[in-house]
Amino acid sequence: MFGIQLAGNLLQGLVLGAVYGMATMGLSLIFGVLKVVNVGHGAFMMVGAFVALWVFNGLGLSPIWAIPAAFVLGMALGFIFFHTSMKRLIKAPELASLLATFALGILLEETVKLIYGADFHGYNWIVGKVSMGITVMPMSKIYAFVGSILIALILYFWFTKTRGGTALTCVVEDSEGARVCGINVGRAYALSFSLGIGLTVASGVLLTMFIPVGISPYMGGVYTLKAFVIAVLGGLGSPYGAFFGGLIFGLLENGSYSLFALIPGLEPFAMTRFFSFLILLLILLIKPTGLLGTK
Amino acid sequence: MKESKITKYYPLIPVCATYLALFIIGESVPGMWQLVAMLAFYCAIGQAFNIFLGMTGYVDFGYVAFMGVGAYGMALSVERLHMVEGIGMGVVFLGLLLAVVLATLLSLAVGAVALRLRGAYFAIATIGVNEGFRYLIEGAKLWGGSEGIVFYGQLAKALGSETASQVSTFWADVFVFLIAFMAACITIVYMRSKIGYALTALREDEDAAKVMGINVTKYKIIAFITSASVAGLIGAAGWALKLTNVFPPQVFEIHYTVECIIIVLLGGAGTLLGPPVGALVYGLAKYWLSVIIPGFQLFIFAPIILVVIVVFPEGIMGLVKKRWRGTGLGKFIE
Amino acid sequence: MKKNMVMAILGFTALFGLVFATGAFGASKIVIGNPECLSGGFAKAGEQAVGGIKACVKWVNETYGGVKVGGKKTPLEYKLYDCESKKEAVTSLIERLITVDKVDFLFAPYSSPLTLAGAPVAEKYKKLFMDHGGASDRIFQQGFKYVVQTIGPGTSYHLGTLDMIRKIDPKANKLALVYKDAEFSRDVMRGAEKHAQTVGYSIVFKRTYPEGAADLTPILSDLKGHNPDIVLGGGHEPDGMLLARQMADLDINAKAISIIVSVTLPSFYEGLKNIADGILGPSHWEYGVTYSEAGAKKLGLPWIGPGQDEFVKLFKEAVGKDLTPEYHSAEAGAAVLALVKGIEMADSLDNDKVRAALGKLHFMSFYGGWDVDDTGLQVGHSMVDMQWQGGKRIIVWPPEAATGKPCYPLPTFSQKAKGTLCIPK
Repeated sequence: MFGIQLAGNLLQGLVLGAVYGMATMGLSLIFGVLKVVNVGHGAFMMVGAFVALWVFNGLGLSPIWAIPAAFVLGMALGFIFFHTSMKRLIKAPELASLLATFALGILLEETVKLIYGADFHGYNWIVGKVSMGITVMPMSKIYAFVGSILIALILYFWFTKTRGGTALTCVVEDSEGARVCGINVGRAYALSFSLGIGLTVASGVLLTMFIPVGISPYMGGVYTLKAFVIAVLGGLGSPYGAFFGGLIFGLLENGSYSLFALIPGLEPFAMTRFFSFLILLLILLIKPTGLLGTK
Repeated sequence: MKESKITKYYPLIPVCATYLALFIIGESVPGMWQLVAMLAFYCAIGQAFNIFLGMTGYVDFGYVAFMGVGAYGMALSVERLHMVEGIGMGVVFLGLLLAVVLATLLSLAVGAVALRLRGAYFAIATIGVNEGFRYLIEGAKLWGGSEGIVFYGQLAKALGSETASQVSTFWADVFVFLIAFMAACITIVYMRSKIGYALTALREDEDAAKVMGINVTKYKIIAFITSASVAGLIGAAGWALKLTNVFPPQVFEIHYTVECIIIVLLGGAGTLLGPPVGALVYGLAKYWLSVIIPGFQLFIFAPIILVVIVVFPEGIMGLVKKRWRGTGLGKFIE
Repeated sequence: MKKNMVMAILGFTALFGLVFATGAFGASKIVIGNPECLSGGFAKAGEQAVGGIKACVKWVNETYGGVKVGGKKTPLEYKLYDCESKKEAVTSLIERLITVDKVDFLFAPYSSPLTLAGAPVAEKYKKLFMDHGGASDRIFQQGFKYVVQTIGPGTSYHLGTLDMIRKIDPKANKLALVYKDAEFSRDVMRGAEKHAQTVGYSIVFKRTYPEGAADLTPILSDLKGHNPDIVLGGGHEPDGMLLARQMADLDINAKAISIIVSVTLPSFYEGLKNIADGILGPSHWEYGVTYSEAGAKKLGLPWIGPGQDEFVKLFKEAVGKDLTPEYHSAEAGAAVLALVKGIEMADSLDNDKVRAALGKLHFMSFYGGWDVDDTGLQVGHSMVDMQWQGGKRIIVWPPEAATGKPCYPLPTFSQKAKGTLCIPK
């Protein structure tokens, strides 16, 4: 019985972890190239969640269509924000960009609140379930899982096989050297920021495919925190690290529940949260640059 | 130009004057006390936060945990000791002491892990501590767990109902004023001493400083622990004693750390006058906006913050310092 | 340079001065001050509360003609600020309301922690503090003299539910409790646990989840393993929906499911559609309760206030949109009515006299019964249980307030996915 519970939790954790991981790739990308920590990360995911809501409830289409829509919207938002504010802050102290992204996050939350109100929304996309013996997995979660992995793979190919992607990798390694090689660093910055935001907004859709309720303007805060932990786990500048960090995080959070449930006098769920942060601190002690970090 | 021992500390005068002015306004104008108390709170957390952030440039995102643990110190003292015969105000002072002890202990634990890290890693590791500690309290049902501690009734038993009301609505805030001033004194003492020089070197270029033989780690730790203990005091006085309750989700809310950051940045990180100035501007603006356009203040605030950051990232006092350096008045600005 | 400094000083003075700039009101009104939550975590509930207060204030002024005090009929006025759901703002705004705006009476902001934050200030100024949104029992264990509760205490939420199920199906014995780990929901859990043991249920599962949990699968898988007949739980809005949704995902088919706070909201059904059908939720008030002036007379209680439909109409006008009033609005409105009764009984605006009058007051309104004990705790109001049946909210318990019969047992989630609705036979 315990074994089945544990296995079930681990499986669910893996699926959720893929979504978390994909969501954090944008954060890691932006940090890797621009050295900016996007404190408004959760707010952008929230925007994606609302796009999914609108596509399903408003347009009556499957939320899968929301993924490219959210991505495009995200890239547009990233582009606008970059050219209006972030561009000037690349040379400023780290704090300034921190606060700027925080302010952006608030602006997004308040704007969405004006449009949709402070309500909690949800949508109901039923496409069947798969009973896996150890647990039951709705197809929507499986779609989210597959979608996250696909996007991560596409990103991998883009970074390693295309000119644009490899150019970005060069900028991460050495921006001066890249400039000397003829790469337009300014445009690389703009592209990474837009791409990072695009990924983050798209991940909001995938998140709702896993958790289609609780969508509200202020939902993002929790995810920002998780993303930070995952990004550091995997190494702040590395998008792939972020993805694997997410998988590990999901496994830890859910798997540890079964272990804590065995200890009387504890609330296992809260303890899983404590546990994941404990692991974070341990990893930072042993390998501060994170699991896949290079710097 | 050789600075005499006294003129070194001139910048304390404007700070002192500001706090005194605030206190007088609060006392004499009816209805202003709670607002003034809120401003003093912001000044205090700004000054305390600046002791570490301002001098080292490191952003401790989990700062609010020190305030939270300090609040628990006060709450636990009242809850567990209020039945002791004749203890009276002793519970309050013991509470403050316990707050400092707990905050210092936590900062040692955090420091051991996080201070080896730099930049964004440091920031995030500290978030880890904040959240981890909060979930530990809830998960292991420490200190009342998620239900927190509500102790107005117990405070009233220890002090008598009238005194308890006075303490919670007035004296708690006076403590906050005193703590803010203390933090300012500590800041300038540090700034003018070896610690300050070492940390400025560190902030400019940490590796160069190490190469030069500066014991960077020692000074980082001193600044970190100081900043944390003051935070503990603020949590004890400004939160626990004032509100007479402590709930984990409220005292570990990351939002407060962000407010600290805004206040310090707005005013000018690393300056003495920066935090009070930032606190006043932020606190007043927020209050005023919430009075005239209730419900919309964040919507207006966010772009304002954005503009400030983009246009003058060194903060108000940073600009003023630059302009007035070397002039007569410049002696009073730091 | 000097000019800059002068400008700076002027700027600061201006900021300070602006903060000051509201005058007192004219003397021929009774002003209610309220630092409510218009933004932040409690914005939704705050919006409801404000609507309820405005609706009842309008009723008092226009239909009732004003509060009878000192031989005159005086209108009510409502002064409102946004505390952003933050405790620091609560204390400074309350002080401003008392000393600058010179309000006559104070209403607390929604939620127990914020009510607790404001109480010491109210106590200091010896001002009545009407608690309409703070259900924590602990508020009334602190010795506050001026806090008066209209909302029912947390511990009473699930008591009726347990009684109802015992009556329908005495054999359904295995109870699972899964609540959010927060003060209010822990209160509910405590009350439910105690009562369940008294009535004879066997509690097979009792766990909590923290605030902000995004995925409840581990805790629900654990719950499923214990095969409960009945599941009680919840916290606030978002996690209630999450609970229902993930129970459906995991095929946890209990005979009855009751979730606090979120079930009663229309957004629960909008977001979950068929999944929500048949789920129960306790409520302080639902549209459709059969409290009436005639019923009050039978019980020998005074009646005051608009009828149900009138309240709904006034509420919609107050919020300016076609929003359904939830119990947050009804309890806030009822607090206004209680205050009016208290003022009239004391025939005075003196806060101490009105507080004493409220202690003796026992009345009924569209919201139900109202009576407080010596500490200010609400003891005269009973919860109702509602259930979604075929997409409609039906009040199923207690029988005196019911508009329909309960549907039991719940159809399974797979049946509901295929279109089966929970309609009683």
